[in-house]
Amino acid sequence: MPLKRPSVQWPWHGLLALILLGLAIGLWVATKRVNYEWRWARVPQYFFYQAEDTQAAPVAGTINKINPNGAYSQVDITPANGGQAVSLTVETDTLKVKIGDPVAEGDGIGAQRHWKIGPLSWGLWVTIWISFVSGLIGLFIGLITGLCRLSPNPALRGLAVFYIELIRGTPLLVQIFIFYFFIGTVLNLDRIVAGIGALALFVGAYTAEIIRAGIQSIAKGQTEAARSLGMTAAQTMTHIVLPQALKRVLPPLAGQFISLIKDSSLVSVIAITDLTKSGREIITSSFATFEIWFTVALLYLVVTSLLSQLLFWLERRFARSD
Amino acid sequence: MTPFLEVTDIDIAYPPKRVVEGVSFKMAEAAIGCLLGPSGCGKTTLLRAIAGFEPVQRGLIWLEGVELSRPHWTLPPEQRRIGMMFQDLALFPHLTVADNVAFGLRSWKAAERWARVHELLNVVGLDEYAQRYPHQISGGQQQRVALARALAPRPRLLLLDEPFSSLDVALREDLAHEIRAILLREGIGGLLVSHDQFEAFAFADQIGVLNQGRLLQWDSAYNLYHRPADHFVADFIGQGVFLPGRMGEGSRVCTELGDIDGIPPAGCAPGDPVEVLVRPDDVTHDDSSPLMAEVVERAFRGAEFLYTLKLDSGARLLCLAASHHNHQAGQRIGIRLEIDHLVVFQRALGAMNEA
Ligand SMILES: Nc1ncnc2c1ncn2[C@@H]1O[C@H](COP(=O)(O)OP(=O)(O)O)[C@@H](O)[C@H]1O
Ligand SMILES: [Mg+2]
Repeated sequence: MPLKRPSVQWPWHGLLALILLGLAIGLWVATKRVNYEWRWARVPQYFFYQAEDTQAAPVAGTINKINPNGAYSQVDITPANGGQAVSLTVETDTLKVKIGDPVAEGDGIGAQRHWKIGPLSWGLWVTIWISFVSGLIGLFIGLITGLCRLSPNPALRGLAVFYIELIRGTPLLVQIFIFYFFIGTVLNLDRIVAGIGALALFVGAYTAEIIRAGIQSIAKGQTEAARSLGMTAAQTMTHIVLPQALKRVLPPLAGQFISLIKDSSLVSVIAITDLTKSGREIITSSFATFEIWFTVALLYLVVTSLLSQLLFWLERRFARSD
Repeated sequence: MTPFLEVTDIDIAYPPKRVVEGVSFKMAEAAIGCLLGPSGCGKTTLLRAIAGFEPVQRGLIWLEGVELSRPHWTLPPEQRRIGMMFQDLALFPHLTVADNVAFGLRSWKAAERWARVHELLNVVGLDEYAQRYPHQISGGQQQRVALARALAPRPRLLLLDEPFSSLDVALREDLAHEIRAILLREGIGGLLVSHDQFEAFAFADQIGVLNQGRLLQWDSAYNLYHRPADHFVADFIGQGVFLPGRMGEGSRVCTELGDIDGIPPAGCAPGDPVEVLVRPDDVTHDDSSPLMAEVVERAFRGAEFLYTLKLDSGARLLCLAASHHNHQAGQRIGIRLEIDHLVVFQRALGAMNEA
């Protein structure tokens, strides 16, 4: 081992800070030169916003009573054609009527506000659940394919190789188009099903290779020991080889899943409203192009780095039990 | 003896290379045997064929009158009821010691299974380590777990592939003795593979010497030492030198140390070149003997010296002498031949030229 010399670290940290600062200034200058007007304030509403539900008079009549109760007020309407008084609750600051005002049926009395999920949050959720479902299906496909890839049966092995090569040799974008426009049309599939199917097939091929490598990394002696203790080849696979192999391939599998979250942005091309598609839609109405794309990127980054942290933690836990 | 394990004239190949050729031997029930040979001679391959991991190209393997292997047909290993202890142990790292031992007992009832596991862990002295994982115990303890695991399902035969090679020499023979005792107690036959003759002697009643895929002799340790079947066996087992000579009249062999009586190899005519195996204990030191040899080297062995001697012709001899006979290199000492078991081989032409 080389001798450790106490080295001075802070100049390098300083340099790093300087470079990052330079990048930030460059960005700022660049946007100044295209006269871009930043409107960050527009972004939060696309996560959550307050929707106003207008409360309209159900009948024609007169405002009989307004009963303020803090933020809310209760408005009673006496119907013109007699009968039971009707009461509505609206938020006090949206109140549009006074006592004694006549109202026609359908007139706005005031509004009730409530929080709604904006398109960015919704898109993020769609991205996450689509990735999760297709990841799960892909894991299953990968497990089966990986086992077939190692099968002594040439037909199974050939099919597995064909599938893996087909998927790994073509772009995901093209696969999504084929899946949606060809298979989706033939089988009359919903766009979500088509998107999940394409992603699952894609990730399944890569998972198969990971699983194959994991199985092959388990020493042959393990299989032979199990066989000589009375296990069939299939029992040996499920009790001895797979438990050890899966533990070993957990890090690359998780990495594959993190990639899948990013790759899933491509399903936006078949009009699935995932995070990327939501971003594109928002931009057409908000004109905050830079802000939205930066926000979308940041959201992907947050999700993937949270998963990386989780993976790091899992790996350390597993490493301890080795 | 009705044979229990019967290996008949088998060939095994890793195509295109033939690794085992024409091997035949038999073992009785609960007998303990060993395949001994230099590394790379095909011992592991032969053992794996008996376990069912390699097919045979020729010949048959039978166990208890049932065919296990013939060309183009191999009974799967899990149906043979043959246990195996592997060179690298192959313990299951994701299972505890107890679960490793219980692994072959999956079809047993739970109560019987755990009783058997604890019985065996007691036998190998590891009951208190039952809940540890393999990486949490020492190498010697891992060997014992591997043994207990292989014995648990009561196999008909236990195969052991150099299981002691990772242990230090002192521990090897102890463990070989210990495993032998356990096998005898359990009434399970054993077949060990080893390149170490002392390990083989400590373990087995019958030993087969293999070289380059051929079984040269299948016999007791005593016979391998005193009645080796050929030059290789004689050379491989024990120490000794070959003294060149010629067949004389009748059963006499003429050497530079005089004429010796012995059984000549078949097809030997008087005058044929032969070689005589001389073990260190065949040569006694005797100051009054007219036969003299020069001490070239000596090794102190505690109770004895092992002298390497040079005869006048330049041929070398080994001699064991009690350690109070302290002679220096270069000194000439008197020796006497006392050969109880004369071993004579016909000398090949090449060997004659060397001599
Ligand atoms: N899987 C294999 N494929 C090809 N050749 C092999 C294989 N295993 C062993 N051999 C060769 O067969 C010969 C005998 O090997 P082995 O039975 O392992 O010898 P030993 O156990 O006596 O050391 C060696 O020459 C070795 O190189
Ligand atoms: Mg070997």
